[in-house]
Amino acid sequence: MTDRKFVVASFVGLAALAWGFATAETKPVAGAPGEKPTATKMTWDALPDWSGLWTMEGRIIFDSSSKDPHREFPPLKPEYEAKYAKVVQDAIAGKEFDPLTQCLPAGFPRVLAEPFLQEFVLRPEQVWWIHEQQNEIRRIYTDGRPHPPADELYPLWEGHSIGHWEGDTLVVDTVSLREGIYDRTGAIHSEQAHVTERIRKIDANTIEDQIVVEDPVTLTKPWHVTKRYKKLADPSLRIDHWACEEDNRAVFKNGSTDIVLPSDREKKR
Amino acid sequence: MRSILRYTFLLSGLAFTGGALAHHSFAMFDRNKEVTIKGTVKQFNYTNPHSWLDILVTDEKGQVKEWSFEMEGPSSLMRSGIKPGSLKPGEKITVKAWPLRDGRPAGAAINIVKEDGTVLDPRRGLRPPTS
Repeated sequence: MTDRKFVVASFVGLAALAWGFATAETKPVAGAPGEKPTATKMTWDALPDWSGLWTMEGRIIFDSSSKDPHREFPPLKPEYEAKYAKVVQDAIAGKEFDPLTQCLPAGFPRVLAEPFLQEFVLRPEQVWWIHEQQNEIRRIYTDGRPHPPADELYPLWEGHSIGHWEGDTLVVDTVSLREGIYDRTGAIHSEQAHVTERIRKIDANTIEDQIVVEDPVTLTKPWHVTKRYKKLADPSLRIDHWACEEDNRAVFKNGSTDIVLPSDREKKR
Repeated sequence: MRSILRYTFLLSGLAFTGGALAHHSFAMFDRNKEVTIKGTVKQFNYTNPHSWLDILVTDEKGQVKEWSFEMEGPSSLMRSGIKPGSLKPGEKITVKAWPLRDGRPAGAAINIVKEDGTVLDPRRGLRPPTS
């Protein structure tokens, strides 16, 4: 680590601690609060081609039982491992609830492991990662701005993401997250989760996201995990608006998921 | 402890992935059971987050009962070739479904067979083919 980086890291660490983003042994990250932006200016001509529609490869859970290196499992601290175990036991017993049921967003980073369609809109100063499911949009600012000052950060479903380009690789730094789950297994991350990503197109039909989650509250060490997205064969498909509340018949009941049928509604009248 | 948990997780794989691509948990549907219900379309709600098909079923005593079947939302159904007008009120159909565990007349549709033998697969559009 160079002296400059050390100074920057120290400053970033102090600033984060002061606000609550306690990232012990924080590595210097481009654009972290207080750091001088290092993003190089992207031009329209230099933007890579990520056009088309994409869908996640693999399953919607970060499956701990899989030997596939792309599906690692977060190194949870014992108390969070225990919470995860309880969700698993409840699911075996047929008791399961997912916040998506209430039309809440998947949120970041969970949205990285959600199905349905996705598309990327690239501009020199901003990247939008658009998800079909419940219209979730990640805005990644690549105009060189830093994260907002600590006293303007608050828990957001997608967090606050800034990025820069290293050749054809989009490097993203996300803070300001809500406490949430990585997937339906209920493995939890805290508000202090800090996520860095290296996103690039590895071949004509595959975009890869190398993800590192640091979370001093729930993880014993940084979690490195990779997700891949495949291009859809049919370019004529489209993403439509997903208005989740228009006819949601799923409800939370007795700690699990239930359905309200039209006949149930009539009885209530 | 960790390895035991991981093993438990393996066992529970179905619990989480049974309705893996559905919007909500699949806990209320019994994936180990299938029902086949014949009836007449009352209403087809092409809605988010899930579409619902309500059908009227007449039993041998002439009693009419309403059954409801959940399917994916419009975007996935469209990719499955199921359009808003694909199931019209009054149309006779047969629905194969995973029923609700609690015995109420509803389920998650596996497929729908129309009177002319056409089979609609509401799950086909969940994962469109990739390049």
